[in-house]
Amino acid sequence: MELLDPTLEAQAQSIAWAPRPTALSGKRVALIENTKYNSDRLLERIGEILKTEYGASEARMWRKRNASVPAHEQIIEEVKKTSDVMVAGIGD
Amino acid sequence: MPATLTSKRHKVDDVADAIEFCFEQGWSDGLPVVPPTEKSVRAMLDAARLEPDHQVGFIEHRAVSITAEKVAVNAVMAGCKPQHMPLVVAAVKGIADPRWGYHGPGTSTGGAGVLMIVNGPVARELDVNAGDNLFGPGWRANLTIGRAVRLVMRNVCGSLPGLLDRGTLGHPGKLSYVIAENEAESPWTPLHVERGFRADQSTVTVMAAQGPHQFYNQLSNTAEGVLTTLADDMRISGGIMGQPNYAVILAGEHMLTISGSGFGKAEIRRFLFENTKTSHAHLKRTHRMSGAIQPADETLTRPLVESPDDFLIVAAGGRAGAFSAYVPGWGSKRSSQAVTVAVEK
Repeated sequence: MELLDPTLEAQAQSIAWAPRPTALSGKRVALIENTKYNSDRLLERIGEILKTEYGASEARMWRKRNASVPAHEQIIEEVKKTSDVMVAGIGD
Repeated sequence: MPATLTSKRHKVDDVADAIEFCFEQGWSDGLPVVPPTEKSVRAMLDAARLEPDHQVGFIEHRAVSITAEKVAVNAVMAGCKPQHMPLVVAAVKGIADPRWGYHGPGTSTGGAGVLMIVNGPVARELDVNAGDNLFGPGWRANLTIGRAVRLVMRNVCGSLPGLLDRGTLGHPGKLSYVIAENEAESPWTPLHVERGFRADQSTVTVMAAQGPHQFYNQLSNTAEGVLTTLADDMRISGGIMGQPNYAVILAGEHMLTISGSGFGKAEIRRFLFENTKTSHAHLKRTHRMSGAIQPADETLTRPLVESPDDFLIVAAGGRAGAFSAYVPGWGSKRSSQAVTVAVEK
């Protein structure tokens, strides 16, 4: 007998990745906070380390609407205009 | 010429071999499945009058398109009959609705099940249990329809326990968690009518949910008495800090006692809203709310839900016994809301 496969069989797609910077010196860092406890404190600390130890020029934080949804359009648009690299982390 | 089924084919020797093959592939929830063949999958699609490539839902986060063919394959595996398929399809639409927010309840350590509350004629037509042993075994529709939805989550959406489904504890309702409202005996407006559908429409309401919490009150012969016990049990349950939806399941004896006091569902919701508030001081003392206790915290209260409408009141369960139940929703209403979908035949 013959069985039909129950799993997802997605069409192959190619994604254009943004080129990864080779160094963080002078780069503007976006921090995406997921609203959970201490997420902001963790990301603030990461931002400080990226500035003091890796020479990033600035670190700015955005807050998602809640932990279960993607960063909303306004965040994406602003990050695209004002940042070079992004850190999306979770606190819990 | 019917549209071609495009799912990959696997050859096996016989039914016993097929069941073991499905286990080996990781397609099962832990129980044996019904082998999905071209004939049985076509019968599912025909019953719902859907083309195989029809998109039932799209999970934005995972960029997953759930086609009717894959829903049908998983419904066969779950043990559904073809006439169950429209209800399975409606439930899948519900969990793919952005208001339900699949990513949260599908993935979270909070370990949500998909509580499905069936209303309207389809509940009677498919013999979806609304009475004795409500959350327990014994009814094919209740056990297979919810199982089909969970298999879609597993096999199509990738919500594999321990991988993308990170539930710390989970609960037995994650196998199947389907009930119907007892509209024949209920003195109240059915849930789907309260949520904007006609009484003669069939619907399923999906709610990301913890397990059912049973409570007991055999002493009271008034609505206030029964609901005081319920509110006391509910007050610090589930996610008071998150304020999710709650389902309240009122069984036969309590249904009669509460309605005998002249309480409709609106009065029940208001009573529960007012009597499930907790002081900030208590929440801080019991480490549910962060921060040091301030003098004003003794009188400052937090409601269990944002609004009385966040309680879903359902008449269901056996006639005998002074028991009813409440079901805390997963997480918060901001992250996941109960969604009601019409069943299309």
